Amino acid sequence: MTCNEFEEMGLDAERDASLTEAQRAAAAAHAASCSRCAALRDSWEATRLELSPLAEATATLDAPARVEMRLRQQFRTQYHAPKVRRTAVVAAWGLAAAVVLVGAMSWVKWSSNRQNHVAAKQDSPASNQGSLGQNADDDSQTLVADNELNDFTLLPGVLPAETDGSAILSVRLQRGALGALGLPVNEDRAAEWIQVDLLVGNDGLPQAVRLPE
Amino acid sequence: MRIADQERDDVLLRRAGKGDEEAFTLLYRRHQAALYRFALRMSGNAWSAEEIVQDVFMTLMRDPKKYDPARGTVGGFLYGVTRNRVLKHLERTPQREVSLEEKNENGTGPGIVLMDATTPAIQAEKRERVEQVWAAVLDLPAEFREAVVLCELEERSYEEAAQMIGCPIGTIRSRLHRGRTLLMARLEMLRDAPRRAPLPRQASVAK
Repeated sequence: MTCNEFEEMGLDAERDASLTEAQRAAAAAHAASCSRCAALRDSWEATRLELSPLAEATATLDAPARVEMRLRQQFRTQYHAPKVRRTAVVAAWGLAAAVVLVGAMSWVKWSSNRQNHVAAKQDSPASNQGSLGQNADDDSQTLVADNELNDFTLLPGVLPAETDGSAILSVRLQRGALGALGLPVNEDRAAEWIQVDLLVGNDGLPQAVRLPE
Repeated sequence: MRIADQERDDVLLRRAGKGDEEAFTLLYRRHQAALYRFALRMSGNAWSAEEIVQDVFMTLMRDPKKYDPARGTVGGFLYGVTRNRVLKHLERTPQREVSLEEKNENGTGPGIVLMDATTPAIQAEKRERVEQVWAAVLDLPAEFREAVVLCELEERSYEEAAQMIGCPIGTIRSRLHRGRTLLMARLEMLRDAPRRAPLPRQASVAK
């Protein structure tokens, strides 16, 4: 073993578990034969002796208790505060989901009712037709009434007025009598009997006339 | 639910990650002392060591998934984080002489008690010598100091030290050799120098 090798490996040969027995023996032999390396080893032993009080003085030290206290406080803050926040978030989402669910259910119910209504209508065409026929009748009556009123010709000197209280009076008279109502009369056919509808107002006076064909 | 004292660290860490405070506390109590001592011996400052330990466990608390079981033990991981914090701290903080009388904010000191100091005079002399030795250790470049702290002060084997630092045993041996040489020279100088002489700053050594 050379001096350099001894400095690197031999100073602590007894503690260095990675050395083989042969290397330890070589280190011991070198120290026995080299006074410089022996002095170096003694110097190192003296240094180690000086280090040992420092090692002893610091061997039983612990971190102050306040470190643990701070860490535990931080731990609670980190793990418990988010839990509360998470609960609030979950509750909010739950509420929102419930609102959406209720809305969806309402829509589904409304949609279902609507479809049932349409289906019911389709399932009973006769009644629908009946009702439609009735409606048609009503419409035709209205039309008739409208037509009845529309076919009348206002007598000269009569202003258009509401016909709510009016009545239709059907009479048979000679064509020449229409001249008394202010209508023009063909003298050749004045003696001819005709059927005439008169629209009589609330005051009992004729307001319009219709000549059915 | 009570946790068994012998519960494995990785199990405790998993439980702590799920919000189990007892598991976290147990994990802290298992490792805090070794990490604190390492940080204190490396920095020479109780206040810094306290901050470093707190910071390490804060990191573990905030992101427990940083620990990868495939890469080693929880203890090794914590030591690695502590080591990084210490080295960063040493980079940005100028070295200063250590004082065993040092008081923290709340009036407590590092709590160092010198054993078998029979009389106040001997105790004072011993305290002074320990301070000088510690100052000499702190004067070593960080990587040599780390090897000396691990192998000489913490009495770890070369294999353990190599595993903790993440380097081959040969590197540990080499760093230890250089650290010892510097330390011996420094202490020789102190032995010869009159007591209470200020420590000259160690010339920077190539890392």
